Amino acid sequence: MGKSHILVVDDEPSVLLTYRLLLEQQGYDVTAVLSAREAMRILETSTFDLLLCDLSLEEQYSGFDVVDFGRQRDPGLLAALLTGYATMDAAEKAGTRNIPLLFKPIDIEQFFTTISALLGDGNGQAKASGE
Amino acid sequence: MATPMLRARQNSSVERQNGDSDLARHRRRAALRLLGAERAEEIFPVLLEEILALGFSRALVAEVDFESATVRPVASLNCPRPLQDYFRVSLWSDAPVLSALHEFTPATIAYNRNRKLYVHPLIYNNRRPCWEAERDHRSADCLAVLNQNHTRRLSLNEQVCQVCDMRSYAALVAVEVPARGMEREMMELRAVAELANRYLARLFKVEHYFNRMRDMETTIAQLNTVMQSMPDPVILTDAQHRVLLQNRAAARFFKLPEEVTEGLAHAVELNNLLFSAALSSMAVSDAESSRDLTLVDAIEGDEVLFEAVCAPTLTRDGVRVGMVTVMRDVTDLRRADEELRSNYDRLRTAEEVVRQDRDRLNLIVENVGDPIAVCDSNAKFVLLDPLARELFGAEEEDAVRTPEQMKNLARFEAYVTTFTYAFSHKESAPLRLFNPTLQTEVDYDARSGKIYDERGQVSYTVTVLRDFTALRKLEQLKMERRILEIEKFAATGRLAGTIAHEINNPMEAIKNSIYLMGSMVEPHGQPIYDILKKETERVARITRQMLGLYRHSEQVTNVDINSLVEDTLALFARQLERAGVRVENSLKPMPPILGSADQFRQILSNLIVNARDSMPDGGRLRIRTRHVSRPDSVHGTIRITIADTGTGIPPSSIATIFEPFYTTKGERGTGLGLWIVKGILENHSGKIRVRSKVGRGTVFRIELPIVR
Repeated sequence: MGKSHILVVDDEPSVLLTYRLLLEQQGYDVTAVLSAREAMRILETSTFDLLLCDLSLEEQYSGFDVVDFGRQRDPGLLAALLTGYATMDAAEKAGTRNIPLLFKPIDIEQFFTTISALLGDGNGQAKASGE
Repeated sequence: MATPMLRARQNSSVERQNGDSDLARHRRRAALRLLGAERAEEIFPVLLEEILALGFSRALVAEVDFESATVRPVASLNCPRPLQDYFRVSLWSDAPVLSALHEFTPATIAYNRNRKLYVHPLIYNNRRPCWEAERDHRSADCLAVLNQNHTRRLSLNEQVCQVCDMRSYAALVAVEVPARGMEREMMELRAVAELANRYLARLFKVEHYFNRMRDMETTIAQLNTVMQSMPDPVILTDAQHRVLLQNRAAARFFKLPEEVTEGLAHAVELNNLLFSAALSSMAVSDAESSRDLTLVDAIEGDEVLFEAVCAPTLTRDGVRVGMVTVMRDVTDLRRADEELRSNYDRLRTAEEVVRQDRDRLNLIVENVGDPIAVCDSNAKFVLLDPLARELFGAEEEDAVRTPEQMKNLARFEAYVTTFTYAFSHKESAPLRLFNPTLQTEVDYDARSGKIYDERGQVSYTVTVLRDFTALRKLEQLKMERRILEIEKFAATGRLAGTIAHEINNPMEAIKNSIYLMGSMVEPHGQPIYDILKKETERVARITRQMLGLYRHSEQVTNVDINSLVEDTLALFARQLERAGVRVENSLKPMPPILGSADQFRQILSNLIVNARDSMPDGGRLRIRTRHVSRPDSVHGTIRITIADTGTGIPPSSIATIFEPFYTTKGERGTGLGLWIVKGILENHSGKIRVRSKVGRGTVFRIELPIVR
């Protein structure tokens, strides 16, 4: 019951799969989707403790759109962006919105610490247990 | 004439009675009487009386009046009117009475049937020459001697002494004589006439001198008046410099006034002393001499500057008897002169300054290397330098110009006219002119300024035309190269980014998969798994580094470079120690610098790693930080020097070490370290320089501007 629910968004199926496996291995409850559109649809109906989203997604959407969408529904939604390549603008944008930006290839230890740090600040855990 | 006639009658009676002895007595008495005459006019009456005393009945004296050129009787005894009138004749007539005068010899002329007239000329003569003739050694020219000796016959008109300029008198004694007899009386008459003439000559001479003296007195009086009325002091001194005569102007300085004060007396005494001294110095020369003399005005007490002109006074023989000194008050003159001179000097100095300035300016103008044109307020050329002359032709309006020069001139005039009437003091504008050297139209940068007159009106404009063609080309070339560099860099960066992006996602999947596989690996597969993991990590490292440049995730903050250095060194301490590298650092206090700490850390670690790798057998790593203040920047720069004693970089490679994928480390290196270092520094407006010597080591010097 103490499992945190994480939504992972990445347009590369293999990457998405490894994320899901890694997170499940760590004991999180994971929902993995391949597109921003799909992510938004799920965010409309469900709530998550943490949103992990690739920055550069397919079509016209970016990771920011997904986070913004999620936060419209749930302003307290915790999120981290993952990217293989970030422009300076994007990095600055993430900085100002207080969204951690993780650069691929992400050191796995760092990946885990960032996630547990985000969720472990109490707020996420409380929320998770509240679900 | 009544009395003489009476006496003649008495005398004549005596003579007849006493014969020869009477004649002798008569002559003595006549001589004494004539001698008693003290004036020339007394001679004639005495002579006539003595003639009548000889027994003659009538006698008269007629004198020549040279002014009216007539002869007229001046004294007569017992002469009736007709006889007197007989002697009233013109000098130019051929009256018989004149013959004696013209001949200078006594004559007897027939007056009428019964009577004859003895006519005796009286003319100035003397046996000895007069004093002046004697003094001048011109005795031969003396009229008196000439008339006495008859060495040269002089006509009546010539009766003027050439020595003393004295006109002789000329007169006739006429005596009525009987036709016969009285020979002795006649002789006596002649002697008395001669005697009378001698006395007359002497008296005449004396009277001449007297007249001369009177004339001289008049002259002296006149001269004295002139001298006294002169405003300048005039002083006549004797040979011993004693003052003989001075005018009033001189007395003011040299004569003690009646009311005398001690200071005044002193002033006069001093003046006299100064004057004597001046005279002594001037008296040395015979000619006129002058010198300046400062005297004190005894009355006003002012100092007056005089120019004393001194001339010796000489006798006719050239003997110096004294000096005449005329002094001119030149105080004002000198002051004016001095002022004039100083003004002149000032003018000369100013002129010299102006000349130097002009020369300097000309030198500058000629060496500027750009066309320069000075125009008047009507935009007409006043001065052109040789380059401007090539563009526009000569300054003169009617100079011969090529069509291109005419065109240039028209454009230039339009520009200058606009500028002249514009409100701005300065102007800088492009001006398209035909360049004769390049044979094409060129954009000149015209820079103009105005020169104003005293009233603030534009009197001249100065325009410098700068031809930026060459400079522009160079600038453009540089810029193009720089842009190319930037483009290259950016392209490389973009490429790297794209590659990284395309690689990173698969890499993420691979890496995650490897991690997930970790627990599934069979023991015999472990080495292969390790290789897989290690090499994957290496690829991940390369892409991460490549992306380092484009990843500005962190906040820009104030960074303390010294603590960054210490942190980084601490991070590598173990590695360095293992490699046998000794670390020496010298970190001086410095202000914080705005930037990305992570990126600076990356610079430091890249350079430290490179240094370590260049010293496989150990060595020394020196890190120095300094704050350098620069006059051209507000806060100065920070200089970081990282020096190793490693293998060094060969000169041929120095140029390429900052290029991407250049490595000396083979498989261990990514070839991106220094490229990243350079990129980060450029992002922070910093610079990096490298000095290296193979076998000795390498020094990297980083300069970062302090921005706050």
